[in-house]
Amino acid sequence: MHSSRLRGYGLYILPTFLVLATITIVPLFVTFTVSLFLIDVTSGLPPVWQGFYNYVSLLSDSRFLNSLVVTAELIFIPVALQLLFGLALAICLRERLAGTRWMRILFLLPAVIPPAVSGLVWKLFVIPGAGGLAWLSGLLGIDLDIDLLSMPATALATVVVASTWVGTPFVALILLSGIETIGKDQYESATLDGATWWQTHRYISIPTLAPIIRTVVVFRILEALAIFPIIFVLTGGGPAGATEPVNFYAYVTGFDYLQIDYAASMIVLFFLAMMAFCSPFLVQIARSAEGGAR
Amino acid sequence: MILSRREKFVCYAVTYLFALFLLAPIVWMLSTSFKGQLAIFQKPPSLFTEFTFQNYAAVLSDPQFLHAFWNSVLISSGTVVVSVALAVPAAYGLSHLTGGRRAGFLSWVLLVRAAPGMIYVLPYYLAYSQIGLIDTRIGLILINSVFTIPLAIWIVIPFFDAIPHEIEEAAIIDGATRFQTMTRIAIPLAAPGIASTAILIFIFAWNEFLFALTLTRFEARTAAVSILSYMAYEGTEWGKVAAAGALILLPVLCFSILIRKYLVQTTAGGVKG
Repeated sequence: MHSSRLRGYGLYILPTFLVLATITIVPLFVTFTVSLFLIDVTSGLPPVWQGFYNYVSLLSDSRFLNSLVVTAELIFIPVALQLLFGLALAICLRERLAGTRWMRILFLLPAVIPPAVSGLVWKLFVIPGAGGLAWLSGLLGIDLDIDLLSMPATALATVVVASTWVGTPFVALILLSGIETIGKDQYESATLDGATWWQTHRYISIPTLAPIIRTVVVFRILEALAIFPIIFVLTGGGPAGATEPVNFYAYVTGFDYLQIDYAASMIVLFFLAMMAFCSPFLVQIARSAEGGAR
Repeated sequence: MILSRREKFVCYAVTYLFALFLLAPIVWMLSTSFKGQLAIFQKPPSLFTEFTFQNYAAVLSDPQFLHAFWNSVLISSGTVVVSVALAVPAAYGLSHLTGGRRAGFLSWVLLVRAAPGMIYVLPYYLAYSQIGLIDTRIGLILINSVFTIPLAIWIVIPFFDAIPHEIEEAAIIDGATRFQTMTRIAIPLAAPGIASTAILIFIFAWNEFLFALTLTRFEARTAAVSILSYMAYEGTEWGKVAAAGALILLPVLCFSILIRKYLVQTTAGGVKG
């Protein structure tokens, strides 16, 4: 396409670009500026410059350091489980066995449920002694009457399970669509050469899916970083901060304690860490979407 | 592939156990929504003890819930209109660019979409407090657009890319302006993609929780946040919570069945095989 013709399309992109830049980049600068001032919303006193004081305080804030650990736990455990189960499910669904087709539609469900509803679905399920979990264990002859959300380890486990529940079917469906692009003949010739079912998947499916797996993991990690409604509804970050990731601590600091400057400094660090980790992957993903460019 | 009996058994066990894990909590919520307050705390619990519509009747006659539900309808529709209006021309323009500029813009769009919502909440709260947009539908539509415009651009581009450029060139040779080529040729051809994008944006805005929680109080409160009012300190009304949850889930469910063909590709937001 000629450059003169190309220039005309700028008019289609520019307005959206300007709107998007205004509503995304400006707020980031506002947040950074806020983090450098001492702001007392309750007294209404004018902001006082305090430089990087908030950032220094964060380093010795044990609640913040704890929230970093929780963030790591809530990223790595659920995403690993999602990938493991998702892969197993994709491999099994690929076989199109009678009575498994309907699951392809069922699996769409958790991806579209409002996250707040996911949180309360699980909250109802673990009502001590009277929830669905107690009912299921009763069927197996176990009398389960404990409050899972009252103890740090089990509360964290419940959040991990809920987050795995939300993400796994979606991972399974994406991997399934990837697996189905692999030619049947590849599996057949491997089987003729004496490969077992397990070996064909180990040496054909998984290596072929590697780029998709990488992309899916990046998106699931981003999703896990943003986890908020489930925690808000299910545990409220408790007990004793056991399920409080960084963004939840930032929310509590900003909107419950009204220390907006301190919350802003957390958000800035959170954002920078996220960018450092994700932007190389995201740029790569965007480049690979060249496909249809004319 | 021909599976041995053992392999078949493994496949059935994996898929059915997972389906049970997936369905059990949802079925439990539905069963709770038909129970009275006493049956909900019955020990040991059972799946179906009584069957009453009193929770649904209570929720549907609660003016606050209905107001919130209507807000969700308006805010989600508004977000769709704003995002599609801004994203479609941009996607059309971008699909005609090549190389570095296209990739650069797309990476930026993807980064914006990937950023956690918490990053935007605080500055928007401060700005809205200054200009009076706290607790307004317009305010929520605007902040939702931060995520839905990039999402829409990203999803619509492949549909424009798929249109053979000979068709557009023929239109230009016949004297159509570039704008006419977009509105009369490209947009109708990409219509299925644009429609499913619109539905996806609707679902996003309908499900959105963090912005609605922090930027609204009563006037513009959405359905997803309004459930919290049944989870008060003096004792949660689980029956109403479950019924409200089911009612909020219903529209999303209908829409997602409508676009199930596109759902996997599009929600991936750029995951390509």
